Amino acid sequence: MSKSAVIGWHWPAITFNPRYTGWLASWISPLALLLAWVLVCRAQWFPEQILVSPQDVADSARDLWSSGDLQDALRVSLYRLALGFSLGSLLGIAAGALLAHSETARIYFSPTFNALRQVPTLALTPLFILIFGIGETLKIVIILKATFFPVAIATREGVRSIPRQYLEVGEAYCLSSWQQFRRIIFPATVPAVLTGIRIALGRSWMILVAVELLAADSGIGQIMEMGRQMLRIDQVMVGVFLTGLIGFSLDRSLRLLERWLLRWRHQG
Amino acid sequence: MSKQKIPLRVLKSLRGLLLPAVLLGLWEYTSHRDAAHAFAFAPLEQVYGALRELLAGGDLWVNLLGSLQRASTGLLTGAVAGIAIGLLMAFSRIALTLINPLYQGIRQVPLLGLTPLISLWLGNGEPSKLFIIALAAFYPMVLNTYEGLRQVDLRYREVGQAYGFGRVLLFRRVLLPAALPSLLTGLQQAVPFAWLAAIGGELIFNAGAGLGNLMMSAELGARMDVIVVCAISITLLGIGMSQLLSLASSRLLRWQHIR
Repeated sequence: MSKSAVIGWHWPAITFNPRYTGWLASWISPLALLLAWVLVCRAQWFPEQILVSPQDVADSARDLWSSGDLQDALRVSLYRLALGFSLGSLLGIAAGALLAHSETARIYFSPTFNALRQVPTLALTPLFILIFGIGETLKIVIILKATFFPVAIATREGVRSIPRQYLEVGEAYCLSSWQQFRRIIFPATVPAVLTGIRIALGRSWMILVAVELLAADSGIGQIMEMGRQMLRIDQVMVGVFLTGLIGFSLDRSLRLLERWLLRWRHQG
Repeated sequence: MSKQKIPLRVLKSLRGLLLPAVLLGLWEYTSHRDAAHAFAFAPLEQVYGALRELLAGGDLWVNLLGSLQRASTGLLTGAVAGIAIGLLMAFSRIALTLINPLYQGIRQVPLLGLTPLISLWLGNGEPSKLFIIALAAFYPMVLNTYEGLRQVDLRYREVGQAYGFGRVLLFRRVLLPAALPSLLTGLQQAVPFAWLAAIGGELIFNAGAGLGNLMMSAELGARMDVIVVCAISITLLGIGMSQLLSLASSRLLRWQHIR
Protein backbone atom coordinates (compact mmCIF):
# COMPACT_ATOMS: atom_id res chain seq x y z
CA MET A 1 0.00 0.00 0.00
CA SER A 2 1.34 3.41 -0.90
CA LYS A 3 1.99 5.96 1.81
CA SER A 4 -0.79 8.17 0.51
CA ALA A 5 -3.28 5.37 0.93
CA VAL A 6 -2.39 5.26 4.61
CA ILE A 7 -2.13 8.95 5.44
CA GLY A 8 -4.62 10.36 2.94
CA TRP A 9 -4.18 13.02 0.31
CA HIS A 10 -1.01 15.01 0.18
CA TRP A 11 1.30 16.28 -2.47
CA PRO A 12 4.28 14.06 -2.92
CA ALA A 13 7.79 15.26 -2.30
CA ILE A 14 9.63 17.23 -4.94
CA THR A 15 12.32 14.97 -6.28
CA PHE A 16 13.19 16.52 -9.60
CA ASN A 17 16.82 16.02 -10.32
CA PRO A 18 18.63 19.37 -10.46
CA ARG A 19 20.94 17.88 -13.05
CA TYR A 20 18.16 18.06 -15.62
CA THR A 21 17.09 21.58 -14.79
CA GLY A 22 20.02 23.90 -14.57
CA TRP A 23 19.72 26.52 -11.88
CA LEU A 24 19.98 29.41 -14.31
CA ALA A 25 17.76 27.87 -16.96
CA SER A 26 14.99 27.41 -14.43
CA TRP A 27 14.61 31.19 -14.25
CA ILE A 28 13.75 31.51 -17.96
CA SER A 29 10.06 30.73 -17.76
CA PRO A 30 9.24 32.66 -14.55
CA LEU A 31 10.98 35.74 -15.95
CA ALA A 32 9.22 35.31 -19.29
CA LEU A 33 5.91 35.08 -17.46
CA LEU A 34 6.68 38.22 -15.48
CA LEU A 35 7.63 40.06 -18.65
CA ALA A 36 4.43 38.91 -20.37
CA TRP A 37 2.45 40.08 -17.33
CA VAL A 38 4.02 43.55 -17.50
CA LEU A 39 3.53 43.82 -21.27
CA VAL A 40 -0.09 42.66 -21.19
CA CYS A 41 -0.82 45.25 -18.52
CA ARG A 42 0.92 47.98 -20.53
CA ALA A 43 -1.19 47.06 -23.55
CA GLN A 44 -4.31 47.21 -21.35
CA TRP A 45 -5.85 44.08 -22.84
CA PHE A 46 -7.82 43.34 -19.70
CA PRO A 47 -9.84 45.63 -17.41
CA GLU A 48 -8.45 46.43 -13.99
CA GLN A 49 -10.79 44.03 -12.18
CA ILE A 50 -9.25 41.14 -14.09
CA LEU A 51 -5.56 41.93 -14.22
CA VAL A 52 -3.38 44.49 -12.50
CA SER A 53 0.32 45.04 -13.04
CA PRO A 54 3.02 43.54 -10.79
CA GLN A 55 3.76 47.13 -9.72
CA ASP A 56 0.18 47.52 -8.42
CA VAL A 57 0.44 44.26 -6.50
CA ALA A 58 3.70 45.41 -4.91
CA ASP A 59 2.12 48.80 -4.05
CA SER A 60 -0.86 47.08 -2.52
CA ALA A 61 1.43 44.90 -0.41
CA ARG A 62 3.28 48.00 0.76
CA ASP A 63 0.01 49.76 1.67
CA LEU A 64 -1.25 46.74 3.60
CA TRP A 65 2.09 46.55 5.40
CA SER A 66 2.32 50.24 6.34
CA SER A 67 -1.26 50.30 7.63
CA GLY A 68 -0.38 47.30 9.81
CA ASP A 69 -3.26 45.19 8.45
CA LEU A 70 -0.96 42.64 6.92
CA GLN A 71 1.09 42.08 10.07
CA ASP A 72 -2.10 41.69 12.11
CA ALA A 73 -3.54 39.17 9.66
CA LEU A 74 -0.31 37.17 9.52
CA ARG A 75 0.05 37.18 13.29
CA VAL A 76 -3.54 35.97 13.76
CA SER A 77 -3.28 33.25 11.10
CA LEU A 78 0.10 31.96 12.24
CA TYR A 79 -1.00 31.97 15.87
CA ARG A 80 -4.04 29.85 14.99
CA LEU A 81 -1.86 27.49 13.00
CA ALA A 82 0.75 27.21 15.75
CA LEU A 83 -1.77 26.54 18.52
CA GLY A 84 -3.98 24.08 16.65
CA PHE A 85 -1.02 22.37 15.07
CA SER A 86 0.98 21.85 18.26
CA LEU A 87 -2.06 20.57 20.16
CA GLY A 88 -2.98 18.28 17.27
CA SER A 89 0.58 16.96 16.90
CA LEU A 90 1.02 16.24 20.59
CA LEU A 91 -2.33 14.49 20.86
CA GLY A 92 -1.63 12.69 17.57
CA ILE A 93 1.74 11.38 18.73
CA ALA A 94 0.23 10.24 22.04
CA ALA A 95 -2.71 8.52 20.35
CA GLY A 96 -0.54 6.91 17.69
CA ALA A 97 1.90 5.56 20.27
CA LEU A 98 -0.95 4.26 22.38
CA LEU A 99 -2.62 2.54 19.43
CA ALA A 100 0.64 0.90 18.39
CA HIS A 101 1.68 -0.11 21.87
CA SER A 102 -1.41 -1.27 23.70
CA GLU A 103 -3.60 -4.13 22.55
CA THR A 104 -6.42 -2.91 24.79
CA ALA A 105 -6.34 0.58 23.30
CA ARG A 106 -6.42 -0.97 19.85
CA ILE A 107 -9.47 -3.08 20.65
CA TYR A 108 -11.45 -0.22 22.14
CA PHE A 109 -10.37 2.75 20.03
CA SER A 110 -9.32 1.47 16.59
CA PRO A 111 -12.78 1.17 15.00
CA THR A 112 -13.74 4.69 16.10
CA PHE A 113 -10.34 6.06 15.09
CA ASN A 114 -10.46 4.43 11.65
CA ALA A 115 -13.98 5.67 11.01
CA LEU A 116 -13.34 9.25 12.09
CA ARG A 117 -10.12 9.60 10.13
CA GLN A 118 -12.05 9.05 6.92
CA VAL A 119 -14.17 12.16 7.46
CA PRO A 120 -12.74 15.04 5.42
CA THR A 121 -11.99 18.05 7.62
CA LEU A 122 -13.66 20.42 5.18
CA ALA A 123 -16.89 18.43 5.33
CA LEU A 124 -16.88 18.97 9.09
CA THR A 125 -16.55 22.74 8.80
CA PRO A 126 -20.29 23.57 8.69
CA LEU A 127 -20.88 21.14 11.55
CA PHE A 128 -18.16 22.74 13.65
CA ILE A 129 -19.50 26.22 12.82
CA LEU A 130 -22.87 25.29 14.35
CA ILE A 131 -21.24 23.78 17.44
CA PHE A 132 -18.42 26.27 18.08
CA GLY A 133 -19.65 29.40 16.32
CA ILE A 134 -17.30 31.25 13.98
CA GLY A 135 -14.84 32.41 16.64
CA GLU A 136 -11.29 31.41 17.48
CA THR A 137 -12.32 28.00 18.85
CA LEU A 138 -13.59 26.94 15.43
CA LYS A 139 -10.23 27.49 13.72
CA ILE A 140 -8.22 25.85 16.49
CA VAL A 141 -10.51 22.79 16.55
CA ILE A 142 -10.43 22.43 12.77
CA ILE A 143 -6.63 22.63 12.61
CA LEU A 144 -6.41 20.24 15.54
CA LYS A 145 -8.56 17.76 13.63
CA ALA A 146 -6.59 18.25 10.41
CA THR A 147 -3.30 17.64 12.24
CA PHE A 148 -4.28 14.90 14.67
CA PHE A 149 -5.08 12.08 12.26
CA PRO A 150 -2.09 12.16 9.90
CA VAL A 151 0.32 12.51 12.84
CA ALA A 152 -1.39 9.71 14.78
CA ILE A 153 -1.33 7.39 11.76
CA ALA A 154 2.31 8.16 11.00
CA THR A 155 3.29 7.55 14.63
CA ARG A 156 1.32 4.30 14.78
CA GLU A 157 2.94 3.01 11.59
CA GLY A 158 6.35 4.21 12.75
CA VAL A 159 6.20 2.41 16.08
CA ARG A 160 4.75 -0.71 14.49
CA SER A 161 7.46 -0.96 11.89
CA ILE A 162 10.34 -1.09 14.36
CA PRO A 163 12.07 -4.40 13.60
CA ARG A 164 11.68 -6.95 16.41
CA GLN A 165 15.43 -7.48 16.47
CA TYR A 166 16.02 -3.92 17.67
CA LEU A 167 13.84 -4.49 20.70
CA GLU A 168 15.48 -7.84 21.32
CA VAL A 169 18.89 -6.19 21.30
CA GLY A 170 17.55 -3.77 23.89
CA GLU A 171 16.38 -6.66 26.04
CA ALA A 172 19.74 -8.36 25.69
CA TYR A 173 21.38 -5.19 26.98
CA CYS A 174 18.88 -5.16 29.87
CA LEU A 175 17.71 -1.63 29.09
CA SER A 176 15.06 -0.15 31.35
CA SER A 177 11.80 0.83 29.61
CA TRP A 178 12.86 4.48 29.64
CA GLN A 179 16.21 3.60 28.05
CA GLN A 180 14.42 1.30 25.62
CA PHE A 181 12.27 4.25 24.61
CA ARG A 182 15.10 6.78 24.55
CA ARG A 183 17.64 4.61 22.71
CA ILE A 184 15.54 2.45 20.42
CA ILE A 185 11.88 3.35 19.99
CA PHE A 186 12.30 7.12 19.77
CA PRO A 187 15.11 7.24 17.18
CA ALA A 188 13.45 4.52 15.11
CA THR A 189 10.12 6.36 14.96
CA VAL A 190 11.36 9.91 14.35
CA PRO A 191 11.54 9.70 10.54
CA ALA A 192 7.96 8.45 10.13
CA VAL A 193 6.56 10.91 12.67
CA LEU A 194 8.35 13.84 11.04
CA THR A 195 6.99 12.93 7.63
CA GLY A 196 3.50 12.74 9.11
CA ILE A 197 3.99 16.11 10.80
CA ARG A 198 5.19 17.75 7.60
CA ILE A 199 2.22 16.44 5.62
CA ALA A 200 -0.13 17.52 8.41
CA LEU A 201 1.36 21.01 8.49
CA GLY A 202 0.85 21.59 4.77
CA ARG A 203 -2.67 20.29 5.00
CA SER A 204 -3.51 22.35 8.08
CA TRP A 205 -2.28 25.50 6.39
CA MET A 206 -4.56 24.91 3.42
CA ILE A 207 -7.54 24.10 5.63
CA LEU A 208 -6.92 27.21 7.75
CA VAL A 209 -6.83 29.48 4.69
CA ALA A 210 -10.04 27.85 3.44
CA VAL A 211 -11.79 28.28 6.78
CA GLU A 212 -10.67 31.90 6.99
CA LEU A 213 -12.17 32.44 3.54
CA LEU A 214 -15.43 30.84 4.70
CA ALA A 215 -15.86 32.24 8.17
CA ALA A 216 -13.48 34.74 9.68
CA ASP A 217 -13.18 38.32 10.75
CA SER A 218 -9.39 38.28 10.67
CA GLY A 219 -6.45 36.46 9.16
CA ILE A 220 -4.79 36.23 5.78
CA GLY A 221 -7.76 34.36 4.29
CA GLN A 222 -10.08 37.14 5.36
CA ILE A 223 -7.88 39.75 3.63
CA MET A 224 -8.22 37.76 0.42
CA GLU A 225 -11.95 37.32 0.85
CA MET A 226 -12.38 41.05 1.47
CA GLY A 227 -10.27 41.81 -1.59
CA ARG A 228 -12.49 39.51 -3.62
CA GLN A 229 -15.68 41.17 -2.44
CA MET A 230 -14.33 44.64 -3.20
CA LEU A 231 -12.96 43.47 -6.56
CA ARG A 232 -9.46 44.41 -5.39
CA ILE A 233 -7.49 41.85 -7.37
CA ASP A 234 -4.19 43.40 -6.24
CA GLN A 235 -5.06 42.60 -2.64
CA VAL A 236 -6.12 39.06 -3.56
CA MET A 237 -2.83 38.49 -5.35
CA VAL A 238 -0.85 39.71 -2.35
CA GLY A 239 -2.70 37.07 -0.34
CA VAL A 240 -2.06 34.34 -2.92
CA PHE A 241 1.67 35.10 -2.98
CA LEU A 242 1.90 35.23 0.79
CA THR A 243 -0.01 32.00 1.45
CA GLY A 244 2.20 30.29 -1.12
CA LEU A 245 5.35 31.71 0.42
CA ILE A 246 4.31 30.70 3.93
CA GLY A 247 3.30 27.20 2.84
CA PHE A 248 6.64 26.81 1.07
CA SER A 249 8.68 28.08 4.05
CA LEU A 250 6.86 25.82 6.51
CA ASP A 251 7.47 22.79 4.33
CA ARG A 252 11.09 23.71 3.68
CA SER A 253 11.92 24.32 7.34
CA LEU A 254 10.46 20.97 8.36
CA ARG A 255 12.47 19.28 5.62
CA LEU A 256 15.62 20.95 6.96
CA LEU A 257 14.72 19.84 10.49
CA GLU A 258 14.22 16.31 9.19
CA ARG A 259 17.61 16.33 7.54
CA TRP A 260 19.28 17.76 10.63
CA LEU A 261 17.68 15.24 12.99
CA LEU A 262 18.48 12.36 10.70
CA ARG A 263 22.04 13.43 9.91
CA TRP A 264 23.39 10.32 11.68
CA ARG A 265 21.85 8.23 8.92
CA HIS A 266 24.14 9.60 6.25
CA GLN A 267 27.27 9.29 8.32
CA GLY A 268 26.91 5.55 7.81
CA MET B 1 -14.54 -25.92 21.97
CA SER B 2 -15.25 -23.93 18.86
CA LYS B 3 -18.70 -23.21 20.25
CA GLN B 4 -17.13 -21.21 23.05
CA LYS B 5 -14.64 -19.47 20.80
CA ILE B 6 -17.14 -17.83 18.49
CA PRO B 7 -19.12 -15.94 21.14
CA LEU B 8 -15.84 -14.80 22.65
CA ARG B 9 -14.70 -13.36 19.33
CA VAL B 10 -18.05 -11.67 18.81
CA LEU B 11 -17.77 -10.20 22.28
CA LYS B 12 -14.26 -8.99 21.54
CA SER B 13 -15.31 -7.23 18.36
CA LEU B 14 -18.23 -5.69 20.23
CA ARG B 15 -15.76 -3.91 22.51
CA GLY B 16 -14.75 -1.76 19.56
CA LEU B 17 -18.33 -0.53 19.34
CA LEU B 18 -18.37 0.57 22.97
CA LEU B 19 -16.78 3.96 22.33
CA PRO B 20 -19.02 4.89 19.38
CA ALA B 21 -22.04 3.88 21.48
CA VAL B 22 -20.88 6.06 24.37
CA LEU B 23 -20.23 9.00 22.03
CA LEU B 24 -23.63 8.67 20.37
CA GLY B 25 -25.23 8.42 23.80
CA LEU B 26 -23.49 11.61 24.88
CA TRP B 27 -24.59 13.36 21.69
CA GLU B 28 -28.18 12.23 22.26
CA TYR B 29 -28.05 13.27 25.92
CA THR B 30 -26.66 16.72 25.07
CA SER B 31 -29.27 17.26 22.38
CA HIS B 32 -32.08 16.68 24.86
CA ARG B 33 -30.73 18.94 27.59
CA ASP B 34 -32.22 22.21 26.40
CA ALA B 35 -33.07 24.18 23.29
CA ALA B 36 -29.62 25.77 23.03
CA HIS B 37 -27.97 22.36 22.91
CA ALA B 38 -30.59 20.91 20.58
CA PHE B 39 -29.61 23.69 18.18
CA ALA B 40 -26.06 22.42 17.80
CA PHE B 41 -26.52 18.73 18.58
CA ALA B 42 -29.51 17.56 16.60
CA PRO B 43 -31.16 14.52 18.22
CA LEU B 44 -30.38 11.29 16.36
CA GLU B 45 -34.03 10.64 15.54
CA GLN B 46 -34.10 14.05 13.90
CA VAL B 47 -31.01 13.17 11.83
CA TYR B 48 -32.76 10.00 10.72
CA GLY B 49 -35.85 12.08 9.93
CA ALA B 50 -33.73 14.47 7.86
CA LEU B 51 -32.23 11.54 5.97
CA ARG B 52 -35.71 10.20 5.13
CA GLU B 53 -36.92 13.66 4.22
CA LEU B 54 -33.91 14.31 1.95
CA LEU B 55 -34.28 10.90 0.31
CA ALA B 56 -38.00 11.23 -0.21
CA GLY B 57 -37.78 14.78 -1.54
CA GLY B 58 -34.94 13.75 -3.85
CA ASP B 59 -32.71 16.55 -2.51
CA LEU B 60 -29.97 14.18 -1.48
CA TRP B 61 -29.86 12.44 -4.87
CA VAL B 62 -29.87 15.69 -6.84
CA ASN B 63 -27.04 17.22 -4.83
CA LEU B 64 -25.10 14.00 -4.56
CA LEU B 65 -25.23 13.44 -8.29
CA GLY B 66 -24.36 17.10 -8.85
CA SER B 67 -21.22 16.76 -6.74
CA LEU B 68 -20.24 13.43 -8.26
CA GLN B 69 -20.71 14.64 -11.81
CA ARG B 70 -18.73 17.80 -11.15
CA ALA B 71 -15.96 15.89 -9.38
CA SER B 72 -15.62 13.35 -12.19
CA THR B 73 -15.61 15.97 -14.96
CA GLY B 74 -12.97 18.00 -13.13
CA LEU B 75 -10.97 14.90 -12.27
CA LEU B 76 -10.97 13.67 -15.85
CA THR B 77 -9.93 17.06 -17.25
CA GLY B 78 -7.23 17.57 -14.66
CA ALA B 79 -5.86 14.05 -14.94
CA VAL B 80 -5.67 14.16 -18.75
CA ALA B 81 -3.96 17.56 -18.66
CA GLY B 82 -1.62 16.35 -15.91
CA ILE B 83 -0.64 13.23 -17.84
CA ALA B 84 -0.05 15.31 -20.97
CA ILE B 85 2.21 17.78 -19.16
CA GLY B 86 3.97 14.95 -17.33
CA LEU B 87 4.66 13.19 -20.65
CA LEU B 88 5.94 16.40 -22.17
CA MET B 89 8.28 16.95 -19.23
CA ALA B 90 9.54 13.39 -19.35
CA PHE B 91 10.32 13.41 -23.06
CA SER B 92 11.57 16.94 -23.64
CA ARG B 93 14.29 18.54 -21.60
CA ILE B 94 13.29 22.00 -22.88
CA ALA B 95 9.71 21.47 -21.71
CA LEU B 96 11.01 20.27 -18.36
CA THR B 97 13.22 23.33 -17.92
CA LEU B 98 10.41 25.70 -18.83
CA ILE B 99 7.44 24.06 -17.12
CA ASN B 100 8.98 22.69 -13.93
CA PRO B 101 9.75 26.05 -12.22
CA LEU B 102 6.24 27.35 -12.90
CA TYR B 103 4.66 24.09 -11.75
CA GLN B 104 6.68 24.02 -8.55
CA GLY B 105 5.89 27.68 -7.90
CA ILE B 106 2.14 27.54 -8.42
CA ARG B 107 1.60 24.40 -6.39
CA GLN B 108 3.06 26.06 -3.29
CA VAL B 109 -0.15 28.07 -2.98
CA PRO B 110 -2.70 26.15 -0.86
CA LEU B 111 -5.27 24.97 -3.39
CA LEU B 112 -8.32 26.60 -1.81
CA GLY B 113 -6.30 29.79 -1.27
CA LEU B 114 -6.55 30.24 -5.02
CA THR B 115 -10.35 30.42 -4.92
CA PRO B 116 -10.65 34.23 -4.45
CA LEU B 117 -8.46 34.79 -7.51
CA ILE B 118 -10.32 32.21 -9.55
CA SER B 119 -13.59 33.71 -8.46
CA LEU B 120 -12.52 37.12 -9.81
CA TRP B 121 -11.37 35.60 -13.09
CA LEU B 122 -14.01 32.95 -13.76
CA GLY B 123 -16.93 34.06 -11.59
CA ASN B 124 -18.68 32.12 -8.85
CA GLY B 125 -20.29 29.51 -11.04
CA GLU B 126 -19.52 26.12 -12.50
CA PRO B 127 -16.25 27.01 -14.32
CA SER B 128 -14.56 28.05 -11.07
CA LYS B 129 -15.53 24.86 -9.27
CA LEU B 130 -14.42 22.70 -12.17
CA PHE B 131 -11.13 24.54 -12.38
CA ILE B 132 -10.32 23.94 -8.71
CA ILE B 133 -11.14 20.22 -9.00
CA ALA B 134 -9.13 19.89 -12.19
CA LEU B 135 -6.16 21.62 -10.56
CA ALA B 136 -6.36 19.25 -7.58
CA ALA B 137 -6.14 16.27 -9.94
CA PHE B 138 -3.55 17.95 -12.15
CA TYR B 139 -0.80 18.40 -9.53
CA PRO B 140 -0.27 14.76 -8.52
CA MET B 141 -0.76 13.47 -12.07
CA VAL B 142 2.03 15.66 -13.51
CA LEU B 143 4.49 14.55 -10.88
CA ASN B 144 3.67 10.85 -10.97
CA THR B 145 3.58 10.64 -14.76
CA TYR B 146 6.97 12.32 -14.95
CA GLU B 147 8.48 10.22 -12.17
CA GLY B 148 7.00 7.01 -13.57
CA LEU B 149 8.52 7.53 -17.00
CA ARG B 150 11.85 8.80 -15.65
CA GLN B 151 12.35 5.77 -13.49
CA VAL B 152 11.83 3.18 -16.22
CA ASP B 153 14.78 0.87 -16.02
CA LEU B 154 17.26 1.54 -18.80
CA ARG B 155 17.56 -2.21 -19.36
CA TYR B 156 13.88 -2.39 -20.33
CA ARG B 157 14.43 0.27 -22.97
CA GLU B 158 17.43 -1.63 -24.24
CA VAL B 159 15.42 -4.82 -24.54
CA GLY B 160 12.84 -2.88 -26.52
CA GLN B 161 15.51 -1.49 -28.79
CA ALA B 162 17.02 -4.94 -29.21
CA TYR B 163 13.63 -6.12 -30.46
CA GLY B 164 13.75 -3.29 -32.97
CA PHE B 165 10.72 -1.49 -31.48
CA GLY B 166 9.95 1.91 -32.98
CA ARG B 167 9.03 4.88 -30.79
CA VAL B 168 5.32 3.99 -30.67
CA LEU B 169 5.88 0.35 -29.92
CA LEU B 170 8.54 1.17 -27.32
CA PHE B 171 6.06 3.46 -25.59
CA ARG B 172 3.18 0.99 -25.69
CA ARG B 173 5.07 -2.18 -24.84
CA VAL B 174 7.81 -0.92 -22.54
CA LEU B 175 7.38 2.59 -21.16
CA LEU B 176 3.65 2.60 -20.51
CA PRO B 177 3.49 -0.71 -18.60
CA ALA B 178 6.58 0.24 -16.61
CA ALA B 179 5.12 3.63 -15.69
CA LEU B 180 1.64 2.28 -14.95
CA PRO B 181 2.17 1.71 -11.19
CA SER B 182 3.31 5.30 -10.79
CA LEU B 183 0.38 6.60 -12.86
CA LEU B 184 -2.03 4.67 -10.66
CA THR B 185 -0.34 6.02 -7.53
CA GLY B 186 -0.91 9.49 -8.97
CA LEU B 187 -4.56 8.68 -9.51
CA GLN B 188 -4.86 7.38 -5.96
CA GLN B 189 -3.61 10.74 -4.74
CA ALA B 190 -5.67 12.70 -7.25
CA VAL B 191 -9.06 11.16 -6.50
CA PRO B 192 -9.38 12.00 -2.77
CA PHE B 193 -7.81 15.41 -3.34
CA ALA B 194 -10.21 16.18 -6.18
CA TRP B 195 -13.16 15.05 -4.07
CA LEU B 196 -12.01 17.35 -1.28
CA ALA B 197 -11.58 20.20 -3.76
CA ALA B 198 -15.10 19.55 -5.06
CA ILE B 199 -16.57 19.85 -1.56
CA GLY B 200 -14.39 22.86 -0.67
CA GLY B 201 -15.26 24.58 -3.93
CA GLU B 202 -18.96 24.02 -3.32
CA LEU B 203 -18.67 25.42 0.20
CA ILE B 204 -16.91 28.54 -1.06
CA PHE B 205 -18.70 29.08 -4.40
CA ASN B 206 -22.22 28.64 -3.17
CA ALA B 207 -24.31 28.08 -6.30
CA GLY B 208 -25.76 25.11 -8.13
CA ALA B 209 -26.44 21.55 -6.97
CA GLY B 210 -23.92 19.84 -4.74
CA LEU B 211 -23.45 18.36 -1.29
CA GLY B 212 -21.33 21.35 -0.26
CA ASN B 213 -24.09 23.74 -1.26
CA LEU B 214 -26.69 21.68 0.56
CA MET B 215 -24.48 21.86 3.66
CA MET B 216 -23.94 25.60 3.37
CA SER B 217 -27.64 26.35 3.08
CA ALA B 218 -28.31 23.95 5.96
CA GLU B 219 -25.76 25.87 8.00
CA LEU B 220 -27.55 29.15 7.31
CA GLY B 221 -30.81 27.56 8.40
CA ALA B 222 -29.08 25.96 11.42
CA ARG B 223 -30.21 22.50 10.26
CA MET B 224 -27.63 20.34 12.03
CA ASP B 225 -29.51 17.18 11.06
CA VAL B 226 -29.06 17.93 7.34
CA ILE B 227 -25.40 18.80 7.86
CA VAL B 228 -24.74 15.48 9.58
CA VAL B 229 -26.43 13.56 6.75
CA CYS B 230 -24.29 15.47 4.20
CA ALA B 231 -21.03 14.95 6.10
CA ILE B 232 -21.70 11.21 6.32
CA SER B 233 -22.58 11.01 2.61
CA ILE B 234 -19.39 12.88 1.66
CA THR B 235 -17.31 10.54 3.80
CA LEU B 236 -18.93 7.38 2.45
CA LEU B 237 -18.58 8.51 -1.15
CA GLY B 238 -14.92 9.36 -0.56
CA ILE B 239 -14.25 5.93 0.93
CA GLY B 240 -16.15 4.29 -1.93
CA MET B 241 -14.10 6.06 -4.59
CA SER B 242 -10.77 5.16 -3.00
CA GLN B 243 -11.82 1.52 -2.54
CA LEU B 244 -13.00 1.27 -6.13
CA LEU B 245 -9.76 2.74 -7.38
CA SER B 246 -7.51 0.50 -5.34
CA LEU B 247 -9.55 -2.50 -6.50
CA ALA B 248 -9.14 -1.40 -10.11
CA SER B 249 -5.42 -0.76 -9.73
CA SER B 250 -4.74 -4.11 -8.09
CA ARG B 251 -6.52 -5.74 -11.06
CA LEU B 252 -4.51 -3.68 -13.54
CA LEU B 253 -1.28 -4.46 -11.75
CA ARG B 254 -1.90 -8.15 -11.11
CA TRP B 255 1.01 -9.04 -13.41
CA GLN B 256 3.31 -7.46 -10.84
CA HIS B 257 2.83 -10.33 -8.43
CA ILE B 258 3.38 -13.08 -10.97
CA ARG B 259 7.07 -13.40 -11.69
